[in-house]
Amino acid sequence: MTANRKDLICGLVFVVIGLLFAVGSTDLDMGTATRMGPGYFPMVLAGLLILLGLIIAGKSFGQPDAAIGGIPWRAMLLIIPALCFFGFAVRGIGLVPGIFIVALAASFASSKMTPLLAVLLSAGLSIFCSLVFVKGLGLPIQLIGPWVRFW
Amino acid sequence: MELLSNLALGIATAGAPENIFYCFLGVLLGTLVGVLPGLGPTATTAMLLPITFVLPPTPALIMLSGIYYGAQYGGSTTAILINLPGESSSAVTSIDGYQMARQGRAGQALAAAAIGSFFAGTFATFVIALAAPPLTEIALQFGPPEYFSLVVLGLVCSVALAHGSVMKALAMIVLGLMLGLVGTDIYTGAPRFTLDRLELADGINFVAVAAGVFGIAEIFRNMENENTRDAVIAKVTSLWPSREDWRRMVAPILRGTFLGSALGILPGGGAILASFAAYTVEKKVSKYPEEFGKGAIEGVAGPESANNAGAQTSFIPMLTLGIPSNPVMALMIGAMIIQGIVPGPNVARDQPELFWGIIASMWLGNLMLVILNLPLIGIWVRLLQVPYHTLFPAIIAFASIGVYSVNSNAFDLYAVALFGVVGWLLLKLDCEPAPLLLGFVLGPLLEEHLRRAMIISRGDPMIFINFSERPISAVLLTLAAIALVIVLLPSVAKKREEVFVEED
Amino acid sequence: MSFFSLARLGFAGLLAMAPALAHAESVEQFPSGPLTIVVPFAPGGSNDTLARLVGRDLEKKWRQPVVIDNRTGAGGNLGGLAVARSEPDGYNLVMASIGTHAVNPFLYKNMPYDAVKDFEPVTLVAKVDLVVVVHPSLPIKSVQELIDYSKKNPGKLNYASGGNGSSQHLATELFKHLTGADMTHVPYKGSGNAIADLLGGQVPVMIADMPIVAPHIKEGKLRALAVGSAQRSAAIDVPTLQEAGVKGYEAYAWYGLFARGGTPRPIVDKLQTEIAAILHDPRNQTFLRDLGAVPSGNTPDEFAAFQKSEIDKWGEIVKPLGMTLD
Repeated sequence: MTANRKDLICGLVFVVIGLLFAVGSTDLDMGTATRMGPGYFPMVLAGLLILLGLIIAGKSFGQPDAAIGGIPWRAMLLIIPALCFFGFAVRGIGLVPGIFIVALAASFASSKMTPLLAVLLSAGLSIFCSLVFVKGLGLPIQLIGPWVRFW
Repeated sequence: MELLSNLALGIATAGAPENIFYCFLGVLLGTLVGVLPGLGPTATTAMLLPITFVLPPTPALIMLSGIYYGAQYGGSTTAILINLPGESSSAVTSIDGYQMARQGRAGQALAAAAIGSFFAGTFATFVIALAAPPLTEIALQFGPPEYFSLVVLGLVCSVALAHGSVMKALAMIVLGLMLGLVGTDIYTGAPRFTLDRLELADGINFVAVAAGVFGIAEIFRNMENENTRDAVIAKVTSLWPSREDWRRMVAPILRGTFLGSALGILPGGGAILASFAAYTVEKKVSKYPEEFGKGAIEGVAGPESANNAGAQTSFIPMLTLGIPSNPVMALMIGAMIIQGIVPGPNVARDQPELFWGIIASMWLGNLMLVILNLPLIGIWVRLLQVPYHTLFPAIIAFASIGVYSVNSNAFDLYAVALFGVVGWLLLKLDCEPAPLLLGFVLGPLLEEHLRRAMIISRGDPMIFINFSERPISAVLLTLAAIALVIVLLPSVAKKREEVFVEED
Repeated sequence: MSFFSLARLGFAGLLAMAPALAHAESVEQFPSGPLTIVVPFAPGGSNDTLARLVGRDLEKKWRQPVVIDNRTGAGGNLGGLAVARSEPDGYNLVMASIGTHAVNPFLYKNMPYDAVKDFEPVTLVAKVDLVVVVHPSLPIKSVQELIDYSKKNPGKLNYASGGNGSSQHLATELFKHLTGADMTHVPYKGSGNAIADLLGGQVPVMIADMPIVAPHIKEGKLRALAVGSAQRSAAIDVPTLQEAGVKGYEAYAWYGLFARGGTPRPIVDKLQTEIAAILHDPRNQTFLRDLGAVPSGNTPDEFAAFQKSEIDKWGEIVKPLGMTLD
């Protein structure tokens, strides 16, 4: 029997998320209808999501298969750490290096990017962001943070 | 006539050269800051607020209002150009607006947004001038059961935001609702799904979710097959709406304006629903429902008009009651207090110059917005001609600092990354992000009003449907039930999916 | 996660070096850069407004930017934490509330900082009056009538608050505790939303911040019964709850500034002198009093004693009520 793998995976993803939330809700008090506890509403929603997931997965059988396509590994491996690094380190290293690093890392997600252009672009962005956000808008963040300031 | 003399006073105040200047300055700064990805109207207004402290009260508040409209329009600009909405209402704009941009019709989308906003702003200004006090009385009839029923209606209708499978759209709404519940339960203080992270105690940041599931997910998708698939947008042929575009824009603008004006009056935050509701209506009445989600101009014109009208009428509870219906209005109230004005019902009587001056300046601000932005369209569109591999690192850099600036919270950046991956995965599985975002915004409201209504009624669900006690709630829930039947009717559902499959 | 833990270790090392590298600054030079006032709540509330008021005038005097940094979350604990973890140099202040620096330690099991040890009191900015209001549709004209009405209609009367653990909530629970009044708590997300339902008569009773409800009382849209403080309010002339027969009742909201624990005393004193001068400015005085706030500007020692008395007082009230939030 054929199945539309896209829909099957999709349904299962919803079922799993629903189960995770349901498990997370078990610690919470359900309460009564008058004074619903914090767990009441999430539990109802989790049940609903599991049900919808099962319906989506069930309907996938007997449908023609659909291609799922590629995974942008390179972009993900560069952009995700870049974003996390920025959040983690910007207060410590400051905005100028923060933006430079995040833009530089992101640049190499594209195979069309040349190193020179990437450096120029990242430098330009970090100057622009510093002027706009710190000088212009007064964002409470240092340009060069204490972690990289050795004077 | 009292109204005429009041309006004359307002026009005289707003028309003073100094006030015109500050109104323009506000609109200009608001637009320029608002177009920075990740910076929605709240963040923009909070950042620019201190500038107005040096001014006397009337120009200060006129400038702040200008900043607010400018920031809203700026947020729509990024939603259209790079699929990065700065707030929930422009999430709707990005559905069709971004598709139009990819087809080389960014100019038309931006023009539709500007023109729709201007018309809506003009109409809503008149609504405020003519009927603010009586409308306030009506709005106060909305209690917890009415808000609950309104949100249910909104959620049922939001299935229309997706153009694919109804089941997937419903699942995305439910998932959004659940993500919206993350954080501290307001009734008991219990932390829910916070994974013991203090940063999640106040819930997941909307801007982070929106930047992730829209902006970053789109970048991942464009990077999938960078060399085989062309992420570059189609050639721009013209910037201005054609005669056909105009014909299709008029009715949506009118409907959106009306819907947005009505919803914006509710002090509990009805304006959130305005753009979603307008999109749903347009899709239902359109002769070309299959074009929605693929670049229908109605899908930009209607919601943008509704959004701006709602933004405008949300001044009503702020001006007449001193109640903020959204965070920007809360900032306006703070600004008034700092200026030495006690907000509340006394403002119209004690400070007529300020009250009517702000109202008259609303129209002026909207006029400036359209004058300022029509020429800017050319510049924005040119920005899109930058090769994609140069554009996207800039989007990521701006989104990083933009999201960070909202709460100065590292965790928000981790959320952007996570939701980028989640959004990409869901896109791959043909699940569209807009219903998820609506659920995310409305989830907390839905639960809050449901539980509050149940406390007030001591657990009696009749509070929602008892027509003699709660007519508004009963009517809204009936409408929601009818809408649900229409959505779930097999024939309708089937037609939707066929349309989807055949065009995929 | 190993990458992050490694990175964190590395950065933690750098971080530890930072204070040693920062050269000491004399009091005369302070402030030589921008100051930050962390507001642990969303823009627009009393807390935020007072911070912006003080910030605006400090900026004028010192000609250094004063940045208002709204860090919301966990009942204000996130904002408190930001300053508890900052440098002890006087450049980072937090606009504390009854929640962040008196009550939360009793309500939250996982308090991320010590409200006393991690902070250096600078000055109390203002006390804000709390006022008992009812919707005019209720046949209630005095505090005694409210108590009687609630007892005659058990389980019927609801009261609103700006949230669990908010000053409005605590003040009402104290009122119930002392009088035996029977009212059910309906929490809202912030006072603004609560006022809308209060005006609409959806929830008819609230002990609310004076600045927010005073205009509505003057318009006759709400009926004021009494104020919670020991003295009558300058904004609306109604009896105090003590005068109305509730023995031993005293409750108000307050907002004050703290620096990071260990900030040099001369810098704290300089901050206090400047901020007290702002609060004693006749224009600010009249304005704040008319709003229903009582500006203070007391010394760091007075403020420390005040904080201690608040902690003791609310500890005694909250513990027997058995309220916890996480």
